[in-house]
Amino acid sequence: MSSIIHKITHYLTIIVHGIDKGSSYKNFRFMLYGAMFAICFIPLIVVTGLSSLEYKKLLEKEEEEQLLWHTQGTQKTIEAFIHELQSVVKFVSKKYNYNELLEQENVSELFLRLKDQYPGFVDLGVIGPSGIQQKYAGPFRLEGYDYSDQDWYVKVLARQLYISNVFMGFRKLPHFVIAVSNKLPGKEEYWVLRLSIDYETLQNYISTVSTKASQDIFLVNNQGVLQTRSNIFGDLLETYPFLKPPPEGEIIINTANYNGIKQLRSFVHIEDSPWILGIVKETYIYGEKWSSFRHRMRLIFLGCTFLALVVIIQVVNAITDRLREADDKRNVAMTEAEHTNKLASIGRLAAGVAHEINNPLAIIDQKAGLVTDLMVFADDFQHKEKLLKSIDGIQDAVERCKVITHRLLGFARRMDVVFEYIDITDLLREVLGFLEKEALYSHIRFELAFAENLPMIFSDRGQLQQIFLNITNNAIDAIGEDGEITLITVLREDEDIIDISVHDTGPGMPPELIKRIFDPFFTTKEAGQGTGLGLSITYGLVKKLGGNITVESEVGQGTTFTVSLPVNNSHKGGGLNG
Amino acid sequence: MDEIKLLIVDDEVEFASALAERLELRNYHVDTANSGTEALKGLGSTYFPDIILLDLRMPDMSGFDVLVKIKEKHPAIEVIMLTGHGASSGGSSSLEKGAFAFIMKPVNICDLTKKIQEAYKNRTSAP
Repeated sequence: MSSIIHKITHYLTIIVHGIDKGSSYKNFRFMLYGAMFAICFIPLIVVTGLSSLEYKKLLEKEEEEQLLWHTQGTQKTIEAFIHELQSVVKFVSKKYNYNELLEQENVSELFLRLKDQYPGFVDLGVIGPSGIQQKYAGPFRLEGYDYSDQDWYVKVLARQLYISNVFMGFRKLPHFVIAVSNKLPGKEEYWVLRLSIDYETLQNYISTVSTKASQDIFLVNNQGVLQTRSNIFGDLLETYPFLKPPPEGEIIINTANYNGIKQLRSFVHIEDSPWILGIVKETYIYGEKWSSFRHRMRLIFLGCTFLALVVIIQVVNAITDRLREADDKRNVAMTEAEHTNKLASIGRLAAGVAHEINNPLAIIDQKAGLVTDLMVFADDFQHKEKLLKSIDGIQDAVERCKVITHRLLGFARRMDVVFEYIDITDLLREVLGFLEKEALYSHIRFELAFAENLPMIFSDRGQLQQIFLNITNNAIDAIGEDGEITLITVLREDEDIIDISVHDTGPGMPPELIKRIFDPFFTTKEAGQGTGLGLSITYGLVKKLGGNITVESEVGQGTTFTVSLPVNNSHKGGGLNG
Repeated sequence: MDEIKLLIVDDEVEFASALAERLELRNYHVDTANSGTEALKGLGSTYFPDIILLDLRMPDMSGFDVLVKIKEKHPAIEVIMLTGHGASSGGSSSLEKGAFAFIMKPVNICDLTKKIQEAYKNRTSAP
């Protein structure tokens, strides 16, 4: 940022000191654009980015919390289900003693009653202290099976109540077992009541607790073997490869990428069971919230960007234009001052020269006059007539010189701003007097159509001379060679205004040039041929004298400048009388 | 007609003498002085002019200063300013200071005598 400010300052300095202005303005404009864009967009981008980031974090936190609640709820539901099953098994084992259950009839009846209440029960077995299944009720023929070396049997003896993983077992169908060991009265031996529950019961239960809030709910054991089907990670008894068992009683939530989808996964132990509950959800389940937020942010960002762009462009253009305008004005003023100074110097020089010449001219005039006088009063003598003629020639030449020196002195007078009564017709003739030789060499004729009896106008002679000198000079330049300049004066009596029109038979101008004709530094002349200030200064002078200047032009038809001057100028001050 | 007495005050000796001679040929009585100081010094003792032809630019004293002094001491004498210098304010300033006319050099003898006659008339008609 500081380097941009430094650069802007640098370009301002260049503009102020006027070095290569065109490219400096361009660079200044670009630098200002850069600075303004940076000022507007850096905070905008930062705010947008931070808002997005914060909102995303908030959403993620909210999502995690929701997953946590969901996991807790599901955990409780499944635990309630497990406890209910456990209660049933415990109740049965308390209600019946071992001997009663050695009667097939009792076992079958008990099984039917249980199945009636819990259709998920597949079979019921009574296992004696030796690990041999003594009685069995169910669809298979499993009586006499020896479970003594089976893992679940060992564990139930140790823990009294045991829930197994889902396994295939002897019947080759997925199921799990709830078993309770009971002590034989008066012995250090245990019999076991064992209930097999169809795996589908568990699966159905999981399916009922599954909601839209999650993509997948499954049970997995500590070894990572799936205990129910997973929508994402595979079928029953397949391996879930990413398991990191959570500590007892704690819910762990982690994020992971699976097939390019970001997932939130939560895991928690189900109490009194070998299972871990796993819930998986894709992140941004509230995608709508996020996408609508992003949509709104995008709209706000684009809106702000558009607004900032419009404002920046307007402001930068306005600043640069103002700067350029001010600079141009300053340049015009400086050039005008230079021009005035130059004219003043020329004026002083002209006046000096005229004065220096006038005095010897006066001596020549008087001496020649004296000779004439003497000869006129003297008697005739040889060559008298010839001598008189010669002296007349000298006096004519003196008269011509006098016209020139008086004109030069008149030019010098133009530098003094003096309001006086001026005969505009005389003034125009005087101006044309300066230009007649130039016009003659260029074969340009002056046509004069001056209104008679024009009133004297109260104005500044020097400035009026400059105005018409500029306009007529321009007309001569426009024509180049061969043409006509017509000067017309008209009195608008009702308004007390004199219109002075200068029409040339030059090439004329298209409308786009006419619009700019009074602009400072605007010139159609070749580089170095014109300053582009003549008409600008003329315009300023006419306005200063309370007048108005208009231009009419058509390509191929020539150009007409009309200067309208008030007869009674409001700039009245002291002046010459007559 | 009375002989009109003139005094030409001009540092250009050649101009003054030629003009004096020409005016004398036209029956004027003409004296010449080559500086303002000389003119002021001689006025009332050496020169008794009705009309003074006074140059505006002279080395010792400017025509304006001479004019002011003449008008102070001899208000009856009419002064015609003659100058080769064309300062625009010269004319109006000298008229304000009491000059009768302001004529630029080189001057036509007929125009000058006409102005002298006018000035003389003005002088005699003055109260």
